[in-house]
Amino acid sequence: MSDLAFSGTSGIIIMLFYGFLMLFIGFITYWRNRGLHQSNKEFYLGGGNLSVFVLFFTFFATQYSGNTVVGYAPTAYRMGFMWMQSITFFILIVVGYLMFAPRLYALSKKHQFITPSDYIDKRFKSKAVTLLASLLMLYGLCNYLLEQIIAIGHGVSGLTGGTIPYQAAVVFFVTVMIIYGWLGGMRSVAYTDTMQGIALLFGVAVLLIGSMIYFGGLPSATEYAATISPEKLGVPDSNGLVSWFSMLILVMIGAAIYPHAIQRIFAAKSEKSLKKSLSWMAWMPFVTSGFVFIIGIIGIQAFPGLSEGDSEQLVGMMANHIAMQNPFFYWAMVLLFGGIVAAIISTADSVLLTLSSVISKDIYARYINKSASDKKQILVGKLTGVVLVIILLLIAWYPPATLYRIFILKFELLIQIAPAFLLGLYWKQLHRHALFIGMLAGTIIASVMAFTGQQPLGIASGLWGLAVNFMLCVGLSIFLKVPKSEVELLQKEIS
Amino acid sequence: MTQKKEPIKNWKIWVILIVLLIFSVPWYLPTGSYEPFILGLPYWAWIILGVSLIISIVLTLILKHCWYMTDEEEMQEEEEKQ
Repeated sequence: MSDLAFSGTSGIIIMLFYGFLMLFIGFITYWRNRGLHQSNKEFYLGGGNLSVFVLFFTFFATQYSGNTVVGYAPTAYRMGFMWMQSITFFILIVVGYLMFAPRLYALSKKHQFITPSDYIDKRFKSKAVTLLASLLMLYGLCNYLLEQIIAIGHGVSGLTGGTIPYQAAVVFFVTVMIIYGWLGGMRSVAYTDTMQGIALLFGVAVLLIGSMIYFGGLPSATEYAATISPEKLGVPDSNGLVSWFSMLILVMIGAAIYPHAIQRIFAAKSEKSLKKSLSWMAWMPFVTSGFVFIIGIIGIQAFPGLSEGDSEQLVGMMANHIAMQNPFFYWAMVLLFGGIVAAIISTADSVLLTLSSVISKDIYARYINKSASDKKQILVGKLTGVVLVIILLLIAWYPPATLYRIFILKFELLIQIAPAFLLGLYWKQLHRHALFIGMLAGTIIASVMAFTGQQPLGIASGLWGLAVNFMLCVGLSIFLKVPKSEVELLQKEIS
Repeated sequence: MTQKKEPIKNWKIWVILIVLLIFSVPWYLPTGSYEPFILGLPYWAWIILGVSLIISIVLTLILKHCWYMTDEEEMQEEEEKQ
């Protein structure tokens, strides 16, 4: 990969351009909302006042990362048409939201929730449960942030053929992200998300058009695949089908229950804007993961026979070839490159902000300094956030081999808080001790299975953990019985 | 004033969604088959795409018609106050 078209100044120019644009948005937000550092709600939820358009893009940018392009195209390349599941599972995330968002949104306005743990505390009134849930979220979010940081480095160095070194890219963009996050909190995260989302959508569309023109369209790619690897075209066998189902369920529940996804429910201006943003989200998979899927399939013909490691560079190789054709595509690919990086950052910034809020509210204000003012809580959240990022940066210096495995790892832990929402919101008999034991057992089972690489029946380890978690929650609650007075109280507070 | 509606309490929604989820994975088609191609896609890819489209349509309808939890008038009054 030595003869890359944009190895050189244009790569650096576009990177600086995006970086400064994000900083600019951060400064404007800061300028227009001077008071936002005084209140948790203002800083972490944008005052709970995000309108349809901004809310939609912040949902979009949170769910679709640069990995959706850089990582999913190679997956389509390797797995073939089975990877159509990436369209369905992104749609199903909206189904995941339907399971809890309507009631949770209403409650969040009633009780002024800032973090997911605020709800858990209100519902279960148990320090142990809230702490366990907060720690799970903290750990899961750190993993998630680490993955995004690694992706920034891979994205930039891969797309510029190494002109911009991995480390330089990571340090530059992480610094930019921290600065605008500090300046404007949720507002600047949401506004930059809007810019980043548009850049990604544009880039993916142009890459698709470019690959169709210069690598031949989909029909020639699939005809070619039929001769060299027909298994990528056929209906998957039973193992493939089981893992397909498992992935659908895992993403449907897991992605909706992400702490930063939940916080976006709290940030909605009204029920109407929340409903509208979610219904737009139900259509986005066709033009994002759907387009990326086609790009990956075209790649089978464009660059046949790549090893698993080499195939991870597929998007860079395709973009590079297209960029060499003419000036229009050259600049379009430069924009795509910026869009991919922007998309990674827009996911990372949401995670970082939620991470800070968990530290501010759920750890610091709840357990360490109960009388801290909002201003102080925010400061602690910001500073601890930076320290965590620095630790993650050190880990990211020596990144693990492929992106796909670590993507599964964070899901496994975050998904274990699901019963607190899916059962807790509706079933008053869910006992706090049952929930605690369920979450703990689920986490241990999922982690042990993940570390030893076990996936019985092809079902993801996170789902096995979650199944045990749910069974314990239900079984033990029937056994333990919640007192009548408490059920009545919950009836008032949670219904 | 609109009547309160919560998606979780409407069992019909979930029956429809579960059926669609089950059919969004091609277990009911012969393993390994991919012909005929239609516009470059194996026939079964169109079926899966079709089911996914139906899910999106159904979700849009549910979000529009089956979810009224907070009183919008009340909300508007609150907004005006702010």
